[in-house]
Amino acid sequence: MTAAALAAPSPLALRLRDALAVTLLGGLLALPFIGLVTVEEGGALAVRTRWSAWAMTLAAIFFGRLALRAALDAWHTRRPARKRAAFSSTDAVLRRAAGTSLLAAALLLPVFFGDNRYVIDTATTLGIYVMLGWGLNVVVGLAGLLDLGYVAFYAVGAYTYALLSTQFGWSFWEALPAAGALAALFGILLGYPVLRLRGDYLAIVTLGFGEIIRVVLLNWTSFSGGPNGIGGIPRPSFFGLPFARSAEGQTFHEFFGLEFSPMHRLIFLYYLIVTLALLTHALVSRLRVLPTGRAWEALREDEIACKSLGINTTTVKLSAFATGAMLAGFAGVFFAARQGFISPESFTFAESATILAIVVLGGMGSQLGVVLAAAVLVVLPEVGRQFADYRMLVFGAAMVTIMAVRPMGLLARREPTVRLNPARSSAP
Amino acid sequence: MGYALQQLINGLTLGATYGLIAIGYTMVYGIIGMINFAHGEIYMIGAFLSVLTYVLCTALGLGPTPLVLLAMLFVSIAFTALYGWAVERIAYRPLRGAPRLAPLISAIGMSIFLQNYVQLTQGARIKSVPPLWQGSLSLWSADDFPVTIGWTQLTVVVVTLIVMTGFAWMITRTAFGRQQRACEQDPKMAALLGIDVDRTISLTFIIGAALAAVAGMMAVLQYGVIDFTIGFIAGIKAFTAAVLGGIGSIPGAMLGGLLIGLVEAFWSAYLSPEYKDVATFSILVLVLLFRPTGLLGKPDVEKV
Amino acid sequence: MTPLRTLVLAAGLTVPLLAHADWLVGVAGPFTGQYASAGDQIKKGAEAAAADINAKGGVLGQKIKLEYGDDACDPKQAVAVANALVNKKVQFVHGHWCSSSTIPASDIYNDADILMATVSTNPQVTERGLKNIFRIMGRDDQQGSVIGQWIASKFKDKKVAVLDDKSAYGKGLADEIAKAMKAAGKEPVLRESITAGEKDYSGIVTRLKNAGVDVLAYGGYHTEVALLLRQADQVGLPLVVVGGDTMTNSELVTAAGQLADRVYFTFTPDPRKNPQAAPIVERFRAAKIEPEGYVLYAYAALQLFEQAVTQAGGVERAKLEPVLRRGKFDTAIGTLEFDEKGDLKKPAFAVYKWTGGSYDYAE
Repeated sequence: MTAAALAAPSPLALRLRDALAVTLLGGLLALPFIGLVTVEEGGALAVRTRWSAWAMTLAAIFFGRLALRAALDAWHTRRPARKRAAFSSTDAVLRRAAGTSLLAAALLLPVFFGDNRYVIDTATTLGIYVMLGWGLNVVVGLAGLLDLGYVAFYAVGAYTYALLSTQFGWSFWEALPAAGALAALFGILLGYPVLRLRGDYLAIVTLGFGEIIRVVLLNWTSFSGGPNGIGGIPRPSFFGLPFARSAEGQTFHEFFGLEFSPMHRLIFLYYLIVTLALLTHALVSRLRVLPTGRAWEALREDEIACKSLGINTTTVKLSAFATGAMLAGFAGVFFAARQGFISPESFTFAESATILAIVVLGGMGSQLGVVLAAAVLVVLPEVGRQFADYRMLVFGAAMVTIMAVRPMGLLARREPTVRLNPARSSAP
Repeated sequence: MGYALQQLINGLTLGATYGLIAIGYTMVYGIIGMINFAHGEIYMIGAFLSVLTYVLCTALGLGPTPLVLLAMLFVSIAFTALYGWAVERIAYRPLRGAPRLAPLISAIGMSIFLQNYVQLTQGARIKSVPPLWQGSLSLWSADDFPVTIGWTQLTVVVVTLIVMTGFAWMITRTAFGRQQRACEQDPKMAALLGIDVDRTISLTFIIGAALAAVAGMMAVLQYGVIDFTIGFIAGIKAFTAAVLGGIGSIPGAMLGGLLIGLVEAFWSAYLSPEYKDVATFSILVLVLLFRPTGLLGKPDVEKV
Repeated sequence: MTPLRTLVLAAGLTVPLLAHADWLVGVAGPFTGQYASAGDQIKKGAEAAAADINAKGGVLGQKIKLEYGDDACDPKQAVAVANALVNKKVQFVHGHWCSSSTIPASDIYNDADILMATVSTNPQVTERGLKNIFRIMGRDDQQGSVIGQWIASKFKDKKVAVLDDKSAYGKGLADEIAKAMKAAGKEPVLRESITAGEKDYSGIVTRLKNAGVDVLAYGGYHTEVALLLRQADQVGLPLVVVGGDTMTNSELVTAAGQLADRVYFTFTPDPRKNPQAAPIVERFRAAKIEPEGYVLYAYAALQLFEQAVTQAGGVERAKLEPVLRRGKFDTAIGTLEFDEKGDLKKPAFAVYKWTGGSYDYAE
């Protein structure tokens, strides 16, 4: 707190003045949208006033601002000199502990919620986003290439499985590597022409690529079913045992002597995505300490320095694109298998934006951060279902707030994975 | 021939709107290097405000006179600019100096917020105003296809030209314009020379929003039907236009807007309209392949 | 309520306080997003029906309680909503609205043995062998062939173009229209798609003018029709539009003004003209709600539930499904009977025309 601030007039008067100013501005902003509303009347629009709603908004802004200021001031005085400590070894221990307990929670979830399909299903969705987040993390978080069209590879994976299974009868496990390879190929195809572009030019081209894939899927009806999508996609079976009430061969519940329950398949799908996500995690963690991964991180920090050190930036970029795309392809296969029906509507730009938000909110490059951010972005709208109409409003506001409070993301981690001198680096 | 000419007029009118929105993207990018994803929603807010003003004026018994148009323009610009300013203060200023992607996510959040805010307060139903003027000006009818330009189309083109001229004058001739360009070049140096960088950034957002408000009003004049989702598509197109022209370059934004408008019009005129967006993005990729910083963008010199 | 408790509640861990004292009926549809206005209509209809039924003492002595699920027409959210509704132990579902939401969601309801009444018109909804779906609306293929044949006879000497908006609904309808037209010997001069959500269709409108098109058969939603009409008018093209059930939305009239008088469309015989529905329509109008579009369908879905449950004496699938499949139900939208697939046995379609802000049978 500076001397000038201490010598200022009483804090209450200052705060009141500040709150009044904010209320005035907020009131002006709210006037045309909350104070007035256009409604249809007899086939034409008419204006209605809503002064009470407007007055309530003003009051909410005034007291909200007062409270916020008070809270902020209290927070600032309470922690005057706490330095923003860099990552230390205790942080690493904490992170490991958090990771382990999350893993345990993930594995034990069906034990506690085995009969609650909503929880299992939401957790499965969360798993898909975690996997997508980890995949995009390779491209954005590690290699520092802004990709706004990541959903394209997800779509490639999903449609590959959908087509291979419905047209040629491939099973889930046969299609998985094929879809991953095809998505990786698309990653290279996209990556190659845009190697020269940097930063935001790259961003718009990837966005365009995502849109192109979606528009083609939407219009090429004979190939992809167009807007009707592809339905009747077979669900993965438990090593050949289908999850059905009755089937030609033996079914899962018959083989294990259980009573049939539709939950079996949901729980199996849940464990499947947890396994896939863990494999992804293992792969990415492994790659990070290999020369490829270190080259990605170096590229993120300084492309020119990379070049002068003799790193082939072309292969580094392409490998990042291909790895990220492949992981999205896997996630896509799983998505198609779980939904049983896919259409281009599932692969819009909003989806890319959500995945990117997961990576950035989590703290670029942090694997654990991705899990946390995915939990926030998937669970928040679900929790918000009881706010009904206000759900997405709160969601948008939360994104802005989280970024304002933690601009580096929930768990920022930008220091290199591998250091030359670990002893010194742990206490900078 | 007449047909092609007519499509040219269609494309130019459409492109003018894209260009107006694209300037907002390009100015903000130029000064703080971020993609303002919420800009499309600012355009949507501008359109809603013009509809509101129009309906208020009709309630007062005023017909579609030039006075009403001016009122629409004025109210829409004033409030939209206020929104542009508020968005910068709330979502972007706290992130000054944060990693490059942080404001991008904040902007996406803001865009979701604004869209739902308008839906909640004004309803999900479409808002429409009756055509303000019907009829069109016949330009050429020697051919078998008579070429016409609708009065509203003409208004859009004329207003865009006036606004663009005024804007170009402001950027090149006024003190604010010089400050704006200085901050774009080097904010630190500009600050050392006594320019209030924060104020300049705020003004940039205000001006970008004002131009988006003009675009929103033009959409109301020309199409007469708006809803809370119009910001997204227009925003993506305008952003593409800004990049095509070279992001950071103001004439580039206008050029990019016109080009995209023309591509869209001619593609739906002669080929199948469903692949129109593919065409737009393919052209963008092609241009960027040969000019990695867009048509009029400054070459990207990187210092080590 | 603490955040933690909110979370726990949302996760569905707590048992509802009044467990099973009410019938819990799920109403799923797009209450936010681009198609929120349709969701609005569904909500109004369902609310009114629940209130009316409860005022008469409910069904088998129990009141109906509605549980809303917003899918925003996004298939992924539809799955989440369906799971949430199943978890809240809803006993019947009206929804979803978008075919692309209904299709994945219906699998989940089927798994949980929940029956559903939907207004989604895509043929695929009932063509997948699920037995829990009852469609209280005609199908796109039936509707499309009615439109196609009608165009072929009514506009014999006119040039007709067929457009769609690339949605599952719009494309399905437009494909059927084109097919039926060709079968009746009428070749469309143009068959293209536009992108819904854009505002500028001057390119395609100019193209229609260049091709000398008089009549446009359109598969899609009303907003785009209003825009097409206005922009056609601007280039001096007196376009006549023929569309499907989505044209019942009165927003079309607000947006297109007098040009709306050029719109013909098919819809099931007007429920508002149905004598059974007259008192219901009265009540809606008294509450200042125009019972247009899907309002009465949502109302009818709950009436269907009321009558079927009363006849079956319970809501269990084993009891309720045969009743629904064999019974006859008098609702606000007429008498409903279902076939083996769950489609309406007599999905009558009539051709309507907008005139001065209201629609009536076309001559």
